[in-house]
Amino acid sequence: MTVFKAYLKVLNKNKALVILYTVLLIFFASFNMKTNSVGTFVAEKPNVLIVNQDENRGITKSLIQYITQNSTIVRVKENDSSINDALFYRDVSYIIYLPHHFRNDFLSGKNPKIEVKSTGDYNASLASMMLERYLKVATTYREVEKDEASLVKMIEETLDHQVDIEMTSKLDSNQLMKARDFYNFSNYSLLAGCVFVICFIVASFKDENIRKRTMVSSLDMKKYNQQLLFANGLFALTLWFLYVLLSFILVGKSILDFHGLLFLFNSFVFMVVALTFGLLIGNLVQNKEAIGGIVNVVALGSSFLCGAFVPMEWLPDFVLKIAHIFPSYYYISNNHFISSLEYFELSWSFVMNIGMLLLFGVLFILITNIISKRK
Amino acid sequence: MKKVIEVKSLTKEYKGLRAVDDLSFDVYSGEILGLLGPNGSGKSTTINCLLSLLKFQTGSIQIFGKSMSPTAYEIKKQIGVVFQEVAVFQELTVRENIEYFCGLYIKNKKMRNEYVEEAIQLVGLEEFKKFYPKQLSGGLLRRLNIACGIAHKPKLIFLDEPTVAVDPQSRNHILDGIKRLRNEGATIIYTTHYMEEVEILCDRVIILDKGKIIASGTPDELKELAKIEEKVSVEIEKISTEKLEEMKRFKNVDDVKYIDGILVVTYQKGKNNLIHLIDYLKKENLQYNKIYSERPTLNDVFLELTGKELRD
Ligand SMILES: Nc1ncnc2c1ncn2[C@@H]1O[C@H](COP(=O)(O)OP(=O)(O)OP(=O)(O)O)[C@@H](O)[C@H]1O
Ligand SMILES: [Mg+2]
Repeated sequence: MTVFKAYLKVLNKNKALVILYTVLLIFFASFNMKTNSVGTFVAEKPNVLIVNQDENRGITKSLIQYITQNSTIVRVKENDSSINDALFYRDVSYIIYLPHHFRNDFLSGKNPKIEVKSTGDYNASLASMMLERYLKVATTYREVEKDEASLVKMIEETLDHQVDIEMTSKLDSNQLMKARDFYNFSNYSLLAGCVFVICFIVASFKDENIRKRTMVSSLDMKKYNQQLLFANGLFALTLWFLYVLLSFILVGKSILDFHGLLFLFNSFVFMVVALTFGLLIGNLVQNKEAIGGIVNVVALGSSFLCGAFVPMEWLPDFVLKIAHIFPSYYYISNNHFISSLEYFELSWSFVMNIGMLLLFGVLFILITNIISKRK
Repeated sequence: MKKVIEVKSLTKEYKGLRAVDDLSFDVYSGEILGLLGPNGSGKSTTINCLLSLLKFQTGSIQIFGKSMSPTAYEIKKQIGVVFQEVAVFQELTVRENIEYFCGLYIKNKKMRNEYVEEAIQLVGLEEFKKFYPKQLSGGLLRRLNIACGIAHKPKLIFLDEPTVAVDPQSRNHILDGIKRLRNEGATIIYTTHYMEEVEILCDRVIILDKGKIIASGTPDELKELAKIEEKVSVEIEKISTEKLEEMKRFKNVDDVKYIDGILVVTYQKGKNNLIHLIDYLKKENLQYNKIYSERPTLNDVFLELTGKELRD
């Protein structure tokens, strides 16, 4: 208890740091929510270009209409270089090439191949979902209805029905974006705040002279280290819990479902990694100025590179490649994945990302152990 | 007398450098044992070996009749250590620091509070309880360091140069405190390179040089080792070389030196040396200011044994 109590006192001396990064998080989150609520709808309508090589009739016409209704149609010169430019500058997120004979092929029971080009971002995935939905419905009804006019009517009625659902899910996805941005930013707060404080405290307790003084006392060093680890774990857990609570307060009840649970789980794993990282740096470096430098560089650097401040899809590819070396990348990727989920589903990449995070944690623990053995 | 510590042929080498060389000594219950030696003579290394902080090549160490080891918690419980370097938490106040280190040993809260207050009193930090270490002067910081080491009322106390770079006021406080601890029954091992402290404080002294014991005994016993018995210093304006040579042939005189206006005459033994000298100065009409006679110091002993000064 002695060690734990001293830990709390030392923590109390460092509380300004914790408060600072938490306030930053709240500030960022509420600021972000305001900007999001203006012009949300525009952001949710993907920019789409349809290059139609077929006649604009029947089912082809119906498909184009459906896409047009639910997206913003962009006009771009239909040559490769203009199209590539538009993609690169994100003037358009999704390009659909309807092939020659699409209508005939489709009606005769074939599944004609539709080429697409995509920026791969969230808007593009909305457009792709739209296309898939139309084709899915159309393919199903094709089996039962051979008359084109009736088929088109059936498809449109069904899809009209779904528009409502889509609207609500769009609203939700707006809330999910907020939650995602909150958790993304918490990457910075957790790294900077949590790691900073843990480093400072560990550095105090592992100070050469204090360590020597503790080693000659009648306290078992194993118990001493356990108490320290327990205190650090409890601190990180408390901070994580505080942030989760904050996210629910700020984002509202729309994430009181599996989304919230996944966010919670993902950030918990990340918190554990942040804790192991803090322990590593605290053991490695005793000088407090040096700790400040390292934590700032790592927290700010990885937050920028991995998209904690700006959405990942705005970052150039090479930056994202570099970002792979940081645990933050896997955490933030998962936040993106969670916010894009319509129904509960665990993708392989989600599991892989969690695995990578845990791997980082294990790595940090191993290095910490090697270092403290050497001392 | 009861042996508290028994060290047998302790040798410690740092990569090729023999810091402690075949050291054997005992420490008896209730005494203050001084480890005296110049910088780098192996005092701290010896203490660190005794405390199992360092692994050593050969030798054995028994404390309270049991073999010392890093996990000998029963022994460690009764030991208090004040290291040469100040070891306190910058984030804790004076009182909180003492309470923390005391708490590593004493679990009972009421008892601990009493002990902490007593320790604060012992080193005279009553007015600074709420201060943080960086608000303390060097001397007060050392006092805090000592309070942290002894608050749990250990039976055996190691103090490694607790008065280095300390102002006279704090030094007196510290020395008084140490005497009080001894009077309360503690056994104390005290390292220093200030011979004055050893003479005031220690019951027994071990003089170290280059990791070896070169002499040991009570301060008085050690002074016997110095060939001289008495040292007379005279402040004098001028004196000729012939007169210096003449004085060297006086009875009992060991050596005569004249440096920076001070004439130093050392005697091997004998009585009435001072009177003889004054008579001579009068007879020769030599004007002098102050004149004083001293017993030899441990520094003279060290000089005699090693041919160099204890302090540079
Ligand atoms: N960790 C170490 N590695 C290598 N050599 C060391 C180490 N610690 C001490 N020494 C050497 O061992 C010798 C004894 O050092 P020690 O610190 O025991 O001396 P000391 O008597 O305590 O001196 P001081 O009065 O300066 O405190 C010195 O020559 C020192 O340079
Ligand atoms: Mg020393």
